[in-house]
Amino acid sequence: MSQTALELAQRALAAAEGDQAEVAVQTERSGFARFADSEVHQPTLIENAVVQLRVVRDGRVGSALTNRIEPDALRELARRAAEAADLAPPDPDFPGLAEPEPFPEVSAYDEETAALGAEEQAQLAGRAIEAAAPLAAYGFFTSALSELAVATSTGIAAHQPMTDATTLVIAAGEDVSGYAERSTWKAGAVEPETIGHEAAEKAARTRGAASLEPGRHAAVLEPYALGELLQWFGWDSFSGLGILEERSALCGRIGEQIADPRVTITDDPLDPDGLPKAFDFEGVPKRVVPLIEDGVARGVVWDRTTAARSPNGAASTGHAPPPPARVYGPMPTALSVGAGEASSVDELIELVGDGIYVTRLHYLGIVNPREGVITGMTRDGTFRIRAGRIAEPLVNLRFTVAVPDLLAEVPGLTRARQLVNQSQFYDERYPQGVLCPAIATARFNVTGSGSGPGL
Amino acid sequence: MRQLCEAAVDAAVAAGASYADARVVMRRAQLVATKNGQVEEISDLDSEGIGVRVLVDGAWGFACDRRTTDEGAREAALRATAFAKAAPGGHRRSLALVDARTAEYRTPLERDPFSVSIADKVDLCLRAEEGMKHADVTVRSAFVRAHREHKLFVSSIGSAIEQDIVEAGGGIEAIATSDALFQVRSYPSAHGGSSSQAGWEYVEGLDFVAQAPRVGEQASALLRAEECPPATTTVVLDSDQMMLQIHESIGHPTELDRVYGTEAAYAGTSFLKPDDVDSLRYGSDLMNVTADSTTPGGLGTFAFDDEGVRARREPIVEGGVLRGFLTSRETAARLGQGEGGSMRADGWSRMPLVRMTNLHLEPGDGGSLEELIDGVPDGVYLETNKSWSIDDKRLNFQFGTQIGWEIKGGRLGRMLRDATYTGVTPVFWGELDAVGGAAHWQLKGLTNCGKGQPGQDGHVSHGSSPARFRNVQIGVKA
Repeated sequence: MSQTALELAQRALAAAEGDQAEVAVQTERSGFARFADSEVHQPTLIENAVVQLRVVRDGRVGSALTNRIEPDALRELARRAAEAADLAPPDPDFPGLAEPEPFPEVSAYDEETAALGAEEQAQLAGRAIEAAAPLAAYGFFTSALSELAVATSTGIAAHQPMTDATTLVIAAGEDVSGYAERSTWKAGAVEPETIGHEAAEKAARTRGAASLEPGRHAAVLEPYALGELLQWFGWDSFSGLGILEERSALCGRIGEQIADPRVTITDDPLDPDGLPKAFDFEGVPKRVVPLIEDGVARGVVWDRTTAARSPNGAASTGHAPPPPARVYGPMPTALSVGAGEASSVDELIELVGDGIYVTRLHYLGIVNPREGVITGMTRDGTFRIRAGRIAEPLVNLRFTVAVPDLLAEVPGLTRARQLVNQSQFYDERYPQGVLCPAIATARFNVTGSGSGPGL
Repeated sequence: MRQLCEAAVDAAVAAGASYADARVVMRRAQLVATKNGQVEEISDLDSEGIGVRVLVDGAWGFACDRRTTDEGAREAALRATAFAKAAPGGHRRSLALVDARTAEYRTPLERDPFSVSIADKVDLCLRAEEGMKHADVTVRSAFVRAHREHKLFVSSIGSAIEQDIVEAGGGIEAIATSDALFQVRSYPSAHGGSSSQAGWEYVEGLDFVAQAPRVGEQASALLRAEECPPATTTVVLDSDQMMLQIHESIGHPTELDRVYGTEAAYAGTSFLKPDDVDSLRYGSDLMNVTADSTTPGGLGTFAFDDEGVRARREPIVEGGVLRGFLTSRETAARLGQGEGGSMRADGWSRMPLVRMTNLHLEPGDGGSLEELIDGVPDGVYLETNKSWSIDDKRLNFQFGTQIGWEIKGGRLGRMLRDATYTGVTPVFWGELDAVGGAAHWQLKGLTNCGKGQPGQDGHVSHGSSPARFRNVQIGVKA
């Protein structure tokens, strides 16, 4: 792997004009084979490099960003960042740039994944599509080589190449649909056929979906559903900015029992089963952060800016977001839910006895961040559970849940965990996901019904 | 740049493409944001590159490169062509015929928002923040944005279109908290303020400083307001919440690519079918919806879309009956009607998609907001979106608003917090029983409409007057 991203960061740093300077470079070579009705219809092949510069001049901070990397463009970038700083009032709360620290060793680069070209990406999509037949397949295969490099005037010189690949399939017909997805940093670890088969098998069981009256039900949530729900909850509730601005459901509750003792959630950017990262966009080493431990609220993630404002003297946990997202504060990008003791999802279904089974969620909305209330729909595989077994399929259900309440009574979680993709691939590529088991909860609040499965 | 696009198109055609287009896009975006009396962010972004789209034996290919050089253009063209040749599927895609066009377009504006000094922008934000100060307000924030996109489109049918689009906008927000409550008020809209295709005059017209005291006071008052109770009742929505209602329950379901299932894997499909035009009853007789890419100030305004189809104003719903879809050249050809006109891409590195342009609920004869409320013996009035969720076919929705008021005997009563309402799209629109008049019609622009994989942010405007709906379920709780 070349060091071009770090070299570029250092060239931009050399061009910078300020008392302090910080450069983050992201490069991307990616392919996206998106398909619908079993045909690729939105292919996207991207080659890009983005240089993000932050300078500090006489206590004033300014930023600029470009994807032009020639020497004159980097000088222009330096001029624009300096101008932004000079016109800003001094920022007394700015904590200064990070100092160099040792980075954890992580492995998140795979030569074979990096080498995948347009033809291979199209073929891998084709294998997933074929496996879903005779149902039509909707989804994508994507893979990428991306790099993050951070260089600062304080002496940080960090570089990490990353690969990632995701295969996602909805197998669907007029009144049936099923969903499956796998994400990994090693494309060869996933057979696309597995995803197509899983989606088609799930879809075949959704014909003839029944409705369900609103009310509180016990439920089993597959990792797809639990992962997305926790990611949305975490944006406010596991963020240091959420604590400072009193948006977090953990406000004033650190140290309290807020969930079932079976529930342990960390942000673990170092787990090789996830999408590992060594450092954040400020060049701070990534740390494993306990969020909920045996049901007790333990903490949140921080970047340097929010940590400096923390009344309890928090330190950055290595969760500074990409510079364009800095205003949103630090965010968990590697949520990891501790495994349970159930040997299978079927065992969770038995534990629930009577309730509903949810494959995945759709279009979540945060109704009340302080109470962790989120609404959304179930989709592509919702079933009734009766007498400890999967029974009839259900239409898509609207749910409105307070996540702490959903986690407060958890009969079990599976031993097996799965990495659930959380990248929607907006802006620059930065792979992220949630590593989680399936969960059984006694408290899943259904507030309405939508359409049936299928197109 | 035109030569660069032509080189890409020529390379694609030489490599076997039956159709090719190339877009060079140069984007600049500036953000000035303050929070609690301090500058939170001053950033200045520029990005440029070329995107090349090809059709080979009925299969699409798209590749892009940040290098605006001959080498970058040709390599993108060849990668796009290679992918299209390898793409799995039967591929019978065709495009509606359009004429070759040569044209230029430039946003009409009075004052370039990039010419306003950063110091003046910081000063405006800080003065607005000062006005929101209140005992219970714990977070005050303000921002202004400027955005320019210069793009050149060249296609193998001979079109060459150059457009220079400028946007300006911003917003202010106050958050009030107590031991158990978190309440927010925003102006002129939530989730990123409001923007217009215009100059700095748009931001000045928003008059943040004058609006700030109300925003701060209402955020504070919400801490003492009662929670919106559950009921089925009459709801009056302000223009701002109507924008969200139009966007989610009319805009997205009438995108023809969703109707054909090509967004199934992400944003979802639609409850509409291609043959529903002229027969499906979408709402009451008072419902008239127009897609208009010529609206002055609209974020979806242009001379030509991103596949070279001219701007237009078309009915989507007339008298409550579905009259048309938002289309591309490909989906129009499949429908056998029209030529497209709604294709836009998020910069140079994304393939154009069917997107809303400017989608409006036409004004009615309901008069002012006060007149709409006057006709309600018992109901609620709701303002400004707080949360939103809708199912994959765009039928079942649940939306929350920042603030509400009880309506009793045609008058506003006590303030209500945490109001939500839910419904099913055609049932809800069927209960539309009054639309405010033209004097109360407002246009606002949003910049966070997500669609596509990889994801694309769309910039869209909506216009609406306040409107009234009967028999709406409110007060959904966890």
